[in-house]
Amino acid sequence: MLNYVWISLLLIGIFTAVGRDIHDEVTNPYRNGVPITAHFETTQQPTSLHPIYKGTIVISAATFDQFYNVTSATDIRQSATITTLASGQLKIELPMGDETPQFWKEMAKAAGGKDKLEGTVSSFITETGALNFTLERVSFVKIKAVTKAAIEYADVAVTISLGLIGVMALWLGIMKVGEAAGLLELLTKALLPITKRLFPDVPPNHPAVGMMIMNVAANMLGLNNAATPLGLKAMEELNKINPKIGTATNAMCTFLVINTAGLTLIPATAIAIRAGLGSADPGIIIGTSIFGAGCATVAGLIAVKVLQRLPGYKKALEPDEAEVKNG
Amino acid sequence: MVELFRSVINIISAIAIPMFILVFLGWGLVKKVKVYEVFVEGAKDGFNTAVKIIPYLVAMLFAIGIFRASGAMDVVVAILSPVTNLIGMPAETLPLALLRPLSGSGSMGLMTELMKTNGPDSFIGVLASTMYGSSETTFYILAVYFGSVGIKNTRHALPAGLIADLFGMLGAVFIVRILFGV
Repeated sequence: MLNYVWISLLLIGIFTAVGRDIHDEVTNPYRNGVPITAHFETTQQPTSLHPIYKGTIVISAATFDQFYNVTSATDIRQSATITTLASGQLKIELPMGDETPQFWKEMAKAAGGKDKLEGTVSSFITETGALNFTLERVSFVKIKAVTKAAIEYADVAVTISLGLIGVMALWLGIMKVGEAAGLLELLTKALLPITKRLFPDVPPNHPAVGMMIMNVAANMLGLNNAATPLGLKAMEELNKINPKIGTATNAMCTFLVINTAGLTLIPATAIAIRAGLGSADPGIIIGTSIFGAGCATVAGLIAVKVLQRLPGYKKALEPDEAEVKNG
Repeated sequence: MVELFRSVINIISAIAIPMFILVFLGWGLVKKVKVYEVFVEGAKDGFNTAVKIIPYLVAMLFAIGIFRASGAMDVVVAILSPVTNLIGMPAETLPLALLRPLSGSGSMGLMTELMKTNGPDSFIGVLASTMYGSSETTFYILAVYFGSVGIKNTRHALPAGLIADLFGMLGAVFIVRILFGV
């Protein structure tokens, strides 16, 4: 199933991006090639040293909204510079600032992540300030965003993985000591009545059980830094009793679902953000979150136990014929 | 009552890691384990595990990145919103429910935004933070946990994980409607 979900994410993403960009090409929401009329208030006349006009573009809210089919609250006042190029053509530059309308900011971003929008001036009467200008083309916004995301996220994945090295090493070290001292065995024996029902395929004294208990305990307490290394160690132990390397066992799937359901006694991140936003009672969601995650855990456990009996999933665990012959 | 529970859990969470370290290494000392040597022996696997995850996480995250950047989420929301309206789930929270299994940081951003616009103590604010707390980032956990031991055939883990997510979201809507409903 992961195969199909994965390829669907990619295909849906790319097709949607292409579709939206074609739609944009047809409807032209960024008004490529269409000049807009504005009033230019000159604050600095060109001198022989600096042949540029500095000033402010004024466009009434009504004009701007009609032109771009958006709604803005106030008239647009945007600082700008007009430069005379060697060819005699006038070039206009709008630096993105606090006063810039949101729509132009988005256009500047889509035009290549720059902090300014450029355009060409079709007419400019210096005496009255009447100005007509056309902004640069903005196209293939979503395709560009998709390209950028693909590369950025690949980078993020490496950052996250390498960021795990330190905590992984720390917890693997501590667990190794706990194992050598027989502490995990004690823990495993104490919780045997629960674990033997959840993981019937795992031998009751196997070190994997102790690791899984530690992982669940860390998750409950919201100790994410400890939970992941402990969980990965548990996976490693579970993999030692995996009859078919590269395929998930029933115990692995059960353990994974317990983790994805994310049952925790204190949803610390959500509470911190609530407090930061001035909630009168940030902790009010503790009970509701335990209920929600409890529903997720129970539903996930039922699902995992039912699904593992389906013929297709059962068959995936059987050794391949080729392996049987070789083995 | 809730306040007491909260402060007890907070204290336990705060002292948990030092206690873990103390009990584990202390017990090792009592049992005459060569603590330093054994610790280092275990810790040296940290690098390998982290590096093993990289290809799996790259595969997972770049697909999620493309999906999110394309704006396809708006399309899915438009398709699903009639169904979720029926069960009394506000349309604003649907993107959060859909994003929760895909991206931890993305859904955290959405939750924050919903609370900023509606107020953290409003129905939508409480629901958004409950939804965030009712599940984990399934796709990330799947990639990291299975990636670390080279599992490529994940069998029924993903469908079961997504069923868990679905019921987590439904449970959140149910309980918040009952306790804080309009």
